[in-house]
Amino acid sequence: MFQLPTVQFTEEQEQFRLEVRDFLQEGMAKGKFVPKCDSWLSGDDPEFSKLIGQKGWIGMTWPKKYGGQERSTIDRYILTEEFLAIGAPVAAHWFADRQTGPLLLRYGTEEQREFFLPQIVKGECYFGIGLSEPNSGSDLASVTTRAEKVDGGWIVNGQKIWTSNAHLCHYMVTLVRTSPFDGKNKHAGLSQLIVDLHADGITVVPIKFLTGEHHYNEVFFDNVFVPDNMVVGQIGNGWAQGLAELAFERSGPERILSTFPLIDELIQELKRKKNAEGLKQASKIVSRLWSLRNLSIGVAQLLESGDGDDVSIPAALVKALGTKFEQSIPEITRLLVQTYPTLDAQRKIDRFMAESILHAPGFTIRGGTSEVLYGVVAKGVVTQ
Amino acid sequence: MSEMKDMILEVVERMLKENVDKDLVDIVEQGNWLSEVWNLFENNGITIVAISEENGGAGGDLEDLLNIVRLTGKYAAPIPFTETTLANYLLEYTNLQVVSEPATYMLSANQAYTLEDGKLTGEAIHIHWARHTKRLVTLANSAEGIHLVEVDLSQAEITPGTNLASEPRDTVKFQNATVSQISNALSFDEIRTMTILETAFQLALMTGAIDKINDLTVQYTKEREQFGRPIHRFQLVQQHIVNLAGETAVALAAFNNFVDALLTNKHSSEVAYARIRFEETIQAVATISHQVHAAIGTTHEHSLHQYTRRLWSWRDEGKNTAYWTDIVATQLLENSSDSLWAYLTGTKLALKL
Ligand SMILES: Cc1cc2nc3c(=O)[nH]c(=O)nc-3n(C[C@H](O)[C@H](O)[C@H](O)COP(=O)(O)OP(=O)(O)OC[C@H]3O[C@@H](n4cnc5c(N)ncnc54)[C@H](O)[C@@H]3O)c2cc1C
Repeated sequence: MFQLPTVQFTEEQEQFRLEVRDFLQEGMAKGKFVPKCDSWLSGDDPEFSKLIGQKGWIGMTWPKKYGGQERSTIDRYILTEEFLAIGAPVAAHWFADRQTGPLLLRYGTEEQREFFLPQIVKGECYFGIGLSEPNSGSDLASVTTRAEKVDGGWIVNGQKIWTSNAHLCHYMVTLVRTSPFDGKNKHAGLSQLIVDLHADGITVVPIKFLTGEHHYNEVFFDNVFVPDNMVVGQIGNGWAQGLAELAFERSGPERILSTFPLIDELIQELKRKKNAEGLKQASKIVSRLWSLRNLSIGVAQLLESGDGDDVSIPAALVKALGTKFEQSIPEITRLLVQTYPTLDAQRKIDRFMAESILHAPGFTIRGGTSEVLYGVVAKGVVTQ
Repeated sequence: MSEMKDMILEVVERMLKENVDKDLVDIVEQGNWLSEVWNLFENNGITIVAISEENGGAGGDLEDLLNIVRLTGKYAAPIPFTETTLANYLLEYTNLQVVSEPATYMLSANQAYTLEDGKLTGEAIHIHWARHTKRLVTLANSAEGIHLVEVDLSQAEITPGTNLASEPRDTVKFQNATVSQISNALSFDEIRTMTILETAFQLALMTGAIDKINDLTVQYTKEREQFGRPIHRFQLVQQHIVNLAGETAVALAAFNNFVDALLTNKHSSEVAYARIRFEETIQAVATISHQVHAAIGTTHEHSLHQYTRRLWSWRDEGKNTAYWTDIVATQLLENSSDSLWAYLTGTKLALKL
C-alpha cells in the first residue's frame, strides 16, 4: 500500500492560515459574502474573486513573472481549506486557479501563459471545463465534438454539457476529437483547445440545477474558429494531458469539505444545547474528517515534490472516500439535531442542511463518478 | 378489505397518469393552485373514500384510502389529498361532522393553539397547504384537556412557506377565531391513535414515491448507454439496482403489513417499525437513484428530484423517527421480563402502544 507523507506546517504557514481566516471572518462580518455549503462549485461571485485576486490568492503557486507568488502547494492547500471551511464564494475563479493555470504551466506555450495567467491571477478571467457530452459521461474518450484543420486554426463543431458556470466564464478548455475515432486506441486523436466562449458560433444554454439555480450549461459549437495558438500542448495528446490535470482536481480539500459549514454549525448547536451525547456521536465525524485530511494533504505534499505521475491512484482514492464523507454529513446531522431544511430558512443549520441535501448527489458524480474511481483505484492497487 | 379496492385503484392510477405530469407539478411548486386536479378527484368521489355512507362518504375503507394516498405519492400529485382525507378521517374518528371543502390538519400537541369559550388563539408553523384549503382540523388545548377542533381558515392570518420540495407549508395564526366544531377532551390513547394514523398516511405517500423512484431508476439503467452497453450491465450498477430493489420491496411489504395491522388494531406497533425502517430506506433510495442517474438526475428538468425532494422533506414532518424510536424503546423497557421473541411475535394481542 502506498504511504503518504505527513505535513508539518511551518510557523509562516500557521501565520498565513490566520491571516486568511481573519480576512474571511471580517469579510463575512461586513456582509461581503454569505457563507454556504458547496461554495466552491455553486458560490460564484466575480466581485469576491477580484478581491481574492488583489490579495494575491489566485495562482499563488505560479511563477512571479506571470503574476503568481511562487508559494508552495501546501500554502495553497491552507488557503483553500480556509475558503471551504467558512463557505466563501470562490466558484467563479475556481477552475482557472485549480486546473487551467497548472495545465498551461505544464503544457501551454509561452504566449498562452503570458496572456492568460496574469488575467487569471487578478480574478478577472474564468475558465470552464469542457469535457462531458450528452453521450459521453463516464466514457469520456467517446466524445464526438470535433475540430477540423483549416488554414491558421481549427473549426469546431459539436456540443458539451454540464459545463459549470460557462455562463460566467470567458474561456473553456475543451476536449475535442482531432482525428477520427479508432476503436483500438480510443484515447488517441483527442486534443485540448482553449475556446473563447464569446466567439462566433458558440451558444451557451443554461441547464437548471434541481434547486432551480442556474449552475451548469450546454455549450454548442457551430463552425467555431479556434486559432492555432489556442491549442494546448500537442495535437493528439489531449487524453494524457487531461489525466495529468485530474490529480489536481481529485484530491483537494474540496473533496472533503463541501459540507464543512454544516459540520461546524452542528457542533455549535450541540454545544449550545450542552448535548454531550450528541457531541460523542459528532466526534466520529471529527475523526473521519481528520483521517481523510491526512490523506488529502499527503497527496498535496506529493504533488509539491513534483512526483506527479505517482499520485493518480491515491488522488482517486481521496475523492472516492472524501465525497462519500461529505455526502453523509446531512444524514448524520439530522439524527443529532432536529432540523427543518429549507433554502430560505432563518436558522442557519436548516439552511446549511437544505444546501447540503440538495447538492450532495453531485458530490459523488462530478469530476468522475465513484463507480469509475473504484475501477481506477482497484486497478492501481492490484498492479502495484 | 373492500372488494372495490382493485377497481378504485385502477381508476385512480389512470387518472393520475393521465392528468399529473412533471410540468404540472412544477407549476404548483411555483406556488399556484390547480383546481382542475382537485376537481377531478372530488368529482370522482375519491376525496370521500373511507368516509362512512351515512356521513355522505363514498364507502371503501382505510385500506382503500391509504392505497390511494400511496398512488398520489407515486405521482407527486400536487393537491392536499392526504390532508383533506386525513382531516375527515380524524373528524369522523372523534364523532364530528366531515367537511366537504379542501381541508388540512395539525396534530402536534405542543400547545400551538389554545381554546377558550369556543375561541381559538395561537400560531402553528409548517401547516400543509393552508393557503389553498378552507378548513383546518387541529388539536387545541383548553382547561379541560386536548380537543380536536375544526375551524374555518378564512379567519386565519396565513404566512406562506414551503418545505424542501416546494410544497406549501404555511404559518397559521388565529386570534379568537370561532371554531365550527369541538370534540370532547381526548384521551391519551385517542391522541396516540391519531398520531399513528397521521404517520400511516405519510408512510403511504413515501411508499408511492419510493416505488416511483425505483421505476425511474430501473428504466434509466436500460436506456442509458456508456462504453457501448446499457449501464445495467456494469456490476457496480447492478449492485445499486439490487440495493434499490431491496429497499423498495421492503417499503412495499412494510406498507402492506402495517395497513393489515391497522385494520385489526389501530394500536399496533407496525407503523412505528415502518417509520423507523423508512429512515434507512429513504436515505438509500435517494442516494442510489441519484448516483445511477448521475448528472441528468441533478437537473430540474428531470422528474427524479420531484420524488427525492419530497422524501427528504416528508421524513422531517409529523412525528419523526426520534419519536417512534422512543416509543419502541419504552415498550422494550416495559416488557423487560419477556424475551424479544415473545415481544415480536406477541405484538398484535399483547401490546398496546
Ligand atoms: C454538479 C455537476 C457539475 C459538473 N460540472 C462539469 C463541468 O464543469 N464540466 C464537465 O465536463 N462535466 C461536468 N459534470 C459532468 C460529470 O463529469 C459527469 O456527470 C460524470 O462524468 C458522469 O457522467 P454522466 O453524468 O453522463 O453519467 P454516466 O456516465 O451516464 O453514468 C451513469 C451511471 O452509470 C455508472 N457507470 C457508467 N459507466 C460505468 C462503468 N464502466 N462501471 C460502473 N459504473 C458505470 C456511473 O457511475 C453512474 O452511476 C458535472 C456534473 C455535475 C453533477
